[in-house]
Amino acid sequence: MASSSEQELRGMFECQVCGLTVPYSYVGQKPPNSRTVVLLEECYVLKDPFSSDKDRFLILGSQCSLCSKLVCVGPECSLFYSKRFCLPCVRENLSAFPQEIQQDVEKRYALSKTGSRKLDSRT
Amino acid sequence: MLSKRAEDGGCWEPEGCGQWDWGCPETRSRLEEVFFGDQDVIRRGSEDCRRFWAFFERLQTFRKPKPGPEAERPPEGPRCPALADLPATYDPRYRINLALLSGDGEPGPGPRGAHGRLPRDRLAEFRRAVLHYLDFGQKQSFGKLAKLQRERAALPMARYRQHLLQALREHQVVVVAGDTGCGKSTQVPQYLLAAGFSHVACTQPRRIACISLAKRVGFESLNQYGSQVGYQIRFESTRSPATRIVFLTEGLLLRQIQREPGLPQYQVLIVDEVHERHLHSDFLLGVLRRLLPARPDLKLVLMSATINIGLFSGYFSHAPVVQVPGRLFPITVIYQPIPKEEVPTSKVERLDPRPFLRVLQAIDRKYPPEERGDLLVFLSGMAEISAVLEAFQPYAAHTKRWVVLPLHSALSITDQDKVFDVPPPGVRKCILSTNIAETSVTIDGVRFVLDSGKVKEMSFDPKAKLQRLQEFWISRASAEQRKGRAGRTGPGVCYRLYAESDYDAFAPYPVPEIQRVALDALVLQMKSMGLGDPRSFPFIEPPPAASLETAIIYLQDQGALDASEHLTPIGTLLSQLPVDVVIGKILILGCMFDLVEPVLTMAAALSVQSPFVRSAQSDVECGTARKPLESDHGDPFTLLNAFNAWVQVKSDRSANSRKWCRRRGLEEHRMYEIANLRQQFKGLLQDHGLLAKARVVTGDSYSRQQRHRQRQELYQLKRRHEEGEGRKRKVLRLEALEGGSSSGEEAEVSGSQAGDGTHHVDIQDVKFKLRHDVDQLQAAASSAQDLSRDQLALLKLVLGRGLYPQLAAPDQYNSCRKDSDQFFHTQSKQGAVLHPTCVFANNPDLLQGGQAEAQKNQGPLSDRRDGSSSQHQLLAFVSLLETNKPYLVNCVRLPALQALLLFSRSLDTDGDCSRLVADGWLQLQLEGSEGAVRILSAALRLRARWEEALDRQLARQAWPRGEDGAATAPKTERKAAAALGRDLLDFMRSKVSYSIHRLTALEAQNLYVGPQTITAAPQLPGLFGEAALTPHETKGGYAVTSFLTYNCLTSDADLYSACLRTFWSCPHCGFYMPLTPLERMSHESSCPAAPDGDAHGASEEEEATSGRQASTLRRAYHCEICQKDLLLTPTEILRHRRLHV
Ligand SMILES: [Zn+2]
Ligand SMILES: [Zn+2]
Repeated sequence: MASSSEQELRGMFECQVCGLTVPYSYVGQKPPNSRTVVLLEECYVLKDPFSSDKDRFLILGSQCSLCSKLVCVGPECSLFYSKRFCLPCVRENLSAFPQEIQQDVEKRYALSKTGSRKLDSRT
Repeated sequence: MLSKRAEDGGCWEPEGCGQWDWGCPETRSRLEEVFFGDQDVIRRGSEDCRRFWAFFERLQTFRKPKPGPEAERPPEGPRCPALADLPATYDPRYRINLALLSGDGEPGPGPRGAHGRLPRDRLAEFRRAVLHYLDFGQKQSFGKLAKLQRERAALPMARYRQHLLQALREHQVVVVAGDTGCGKSTQVPQYLLAAGFSHVACTQPRRIACISLAKRVGFESLNQYGSQVGYQIRFESTRSPATRIVFLTEGLLLRQIQREPGLPQYQVLIVDEVHERHLHSDFLLGVLRRLLPARPDLKLVLMSATINIGLFSGYFSHAPVVQVPGRLFPITVIYQPIPKEEVPTSKVERLDPRPFLRVLQAIDRKYPPEERGDLLVFLSGMAEISAVLEAFQPYAAHTKRWVVLPLHSALSITDQDKVFDVPPPGVRKCILSTNIAETSVTIDGVRFVLDSGKVKEMSFDPKAKLQRLQEFWISRASAEQRKGRAGRTGPGVCYRLYAESDYDAFAPYPVPEIQRVALDALVLQMKSMGLGDPRSFPFIEPPPAASLETAIIYLQDQGALDASEHLTPIGTLLSQLPVDVVIGKILILGCMFDLVEPVLTMAAALSVQSPFVRSAQSDVECGTARKPLESDHGDPFTLLNAFNAWVQVKSDRSANSRKWCRRRGLEEHRMYEIANLRQQFKGLLQDHGLLAKARVVTGDSYSRQQRHRQRQELYQLKRRHEEGEGRKRKVLRLEALEGGSSSGEEAEVSGSQAGDGTHHVDIQDVKFKLRHDVDQLQAAASSAQDLSRDQLALLKLVLGRGLYPQLAAPDQYNSCRKDSDQFFHTQSKQGAVLHPTCVFANNPDLLQGGQAEAQKNQGPLSDRRDGSSSQHQLLAFVSLLETNKPYLVNCVRLPALQALLLFSRSLDTDGDCSRLVADGWLQLQLEGSEGAVRILSAALRLRARWEEALDRQLARQAWPRGEDGAATAPKTERKAAAALGRDLLDFMRSKVSYSIHRLTALEAQNLYVGPQTITAAPQLPGLFGEAALTPHETKGGYAVTSFLTYNCLTSDADLYSACLRTFWSCPHCGFYMPLTPLERMSHESSCPAAPDGDAHGASEEEEATSGRQASTLRRAYHCEICQKDLLLTPTEILRHRRLHV
């Protein structure tokens, strides 16, 4: 019973920015059993491992629409603004984005810097 | 129904007019109908739906005014086409990569018609909220995932992943050595999975670790809700065909090897914590070393702390070692040896708590209370813990800076769990623990460790077959483990109450378990696995030779091994029961007399820790409440009563069994264990054909349905509990903890609480009801509650025979002593006392029937001064435990004469059989040779019948079973067993006056007449079946059976046996002749008119069949020693072999 609910793993998703490596079970815009939800980009998807609901999915990442790198959806790696952009690309083309995105990217950058410093002090 | 209500109108008006209210139930209901249908991601009424509305409310409060229609355009033009079509106006919804199909399309009829009544813009707004919610969920889950992966990558083990996999590709065995915190136990299994291995077994020394590791590894490998990671322990398994990695105990893997020696179901084996050197783990390593050449494709990973790595690597022909540094913060060590005047001078003196208190004060002086960090104190045992607890509590109450908690395995589970709770700010937790916290229990937040340097360990004295709990200095390896507990979360301090020179003198490693415990179970298992002579088995470090010899002799005494050390039929069966040999025997014997239910319970109860809480011993109320459960037959009967009474409480839906247990000072957890264990025993007995499989009573369809419904409810409760993920950490209260243990109120609310505390779920109760058919248990319990006197007596006999030779005789002066000064002697140990929990400890008069009667007989009216009585009692005990005194644990009382006649391996008589010596240590002087001969010959016949019945039972077990799998005893056999039971009871009731005397060493030395020159065997046809009377080679006299030697005792009057002939007439056939006692016995047992014997209660026809059955058990046997070809049953072979010993 349990085994049928487990989706076949298709391979490993690896973020080309942060190196996060996670197995994925689907690529596309209509995850299996996703019912009335569709994705607005081609995503690497995994059954949500933190939910007991077997139909819940988790988006891992997708391709940057500018550089085509595979990136995870983590805030340090990419953002979505009608399309997926990796953060390096966003920063390169920062002026092309609206004010709100620009501010957000700056905030993320500052945060990630303090975050990594915190990590350094631990070890 | 819903749409009808919608037509009635809600609290909002059609578009445009009136107030829009998101909170209006009618509105919400309509929105839910549109967006949260069965096909939608969020479903009405689900937990998710509730969470959405909470999210929605928060969203409403943060709602910002809409941005103006004309947002600023970026000043520069887009550089590439991909950026060209970015939306001109910023809107947060462009940041969501999801779209929702629900609530779309044209308004119209059908189930979603309701949304036609909702304003379009409100619908759109709601849709955006749902999208935000889904996006938020994605972010949350992804954050969790990323954090998990980051933490895994940061573990020291992660850097050795490739190294390990490479080593495993090139070698069959790899040792991973790493200290606590390096992540080997959680990561290595995952690396193997990711590398493509799929049938991985990982053994753990403790059951609890199997469960927690399976959970953790399941979670980390993103398989929390899948079935790839499972565990398998004694009573529980989450294993399924999809399972790729299973955590199991070492013992269980050994059982699997026993069944399938090649272990074909696994590709990789991980043996974790090998450095702990448990008996099973050492043995497992030995078995695996033999197995590896036969399974070249099997990989083996040994995981160890960085202790003695060379030993393990060397044992597997220098297997490569992957050494991983641990992750410990620096720890300062402070040596504070105890000053001489505070060292206890003798072992009875209590521990002086002053050195411990000084450390507490030092911490308070040196570290401000706002700097968090708890204290873990390692003590050797429970007595030491309570001594320190007593001294710490006033200090803690005075300073208000400490909560003091004990931690040891005898605590209730609830109390053990308290050590994980957090102290309030400014207060430190102080945990007083045995070595359980060294490796088994990990407590976070410990910054200070106080190490007494002592440990109490079981040691085994093979000579006395005695378990001893003794205090030792720990090893350097243990000292380091203890110290390490201070540095798990930050830099720590370790106070050692010994000098650095002491530390240097410690043994490097703890003594492996195999070198300090009884080895009977191990030897039995080795025999059944066909591992040959245990003496030559290549253990990683061999056990002491004396322990092996003792174990072999013990198994021979118990009838599990024969004289040539081969498994007997009963031994084969015992090796498959995962219990103590003694308990296994009781189970097998109980099956014969239809005493299965009570015997199952007793066997289970004697195999778990006592459910009686020690601390409740002194509690008067507890004592009174317990009283009705006590049985004056002995402790196993008290346990039986307690369990049965508990089952009755359980079957009453309204009763609170937890409260019931607490009132009686019973640990309910043990009751659950007993229930599980007895179920397992039952299954084993059924599997081995000793017990017919119960027919499923289906009942009518109504009750079936009801039962089904109840089970569904229970499953739901269990699932809900599991989702709530157990117990939340609580904040400890200062005042409540002054008692050290839980007060009644607290225990009531702690434990599992599901949801928002709206309802309490006793998850143990739920699991219990899912696992057991309570009605069936209750029926068994109530049948056991009205056991007849006869059944009780028979049950005692079964226990006695199982426990034999674990017998103790009361000291002859006990009746003149105070209650607390009662002494008992076993064959090898003198001056043992009753364990304080023993029912006889408080009621010694129950054991003094014989002595009291004997004293009465000594009065002026009687000329007997020899202590004659017909009521002498012996104790059969389950174990002998030495702490400060040797204690007899779990005792049953038995009538002495009857027990010795039925069970003794050696019975020696004088010429007229009135003097008997049992097993060379207890002498019985019976009054009158007439009665003596009668009871002796009755015993002989009963023993023969009992053996035969047992043979038949065991043979049935060995037969291949039919389709239905049930090998029920034939009717005749059951009748014969019932008849045997009746006759045994008659025998137990026989009244013969006798005195009992423990032989002195000198008496024992000069017991036998020795080999005689006149060896003509008396002609005594048909006395004991086909057995021939032969002169006994060492004792003198004649060997009558394997256990009985006639006329071999020296006596003052040097009587010639023939002179003992007196005229005698057979009471049955009238035969009249001058006969010796032996000749009389011979006649009686073969007298056709005798009412005793097999014919008792059975028709002749049945007798004939049972005779035929016995003969089918016989097989050709060639005795190497006497060079004879014989036709014997397995038991007869054993008996025959003993003749040559
Ligand atoms: Zn990334
Ligand atoms: Zn890019």
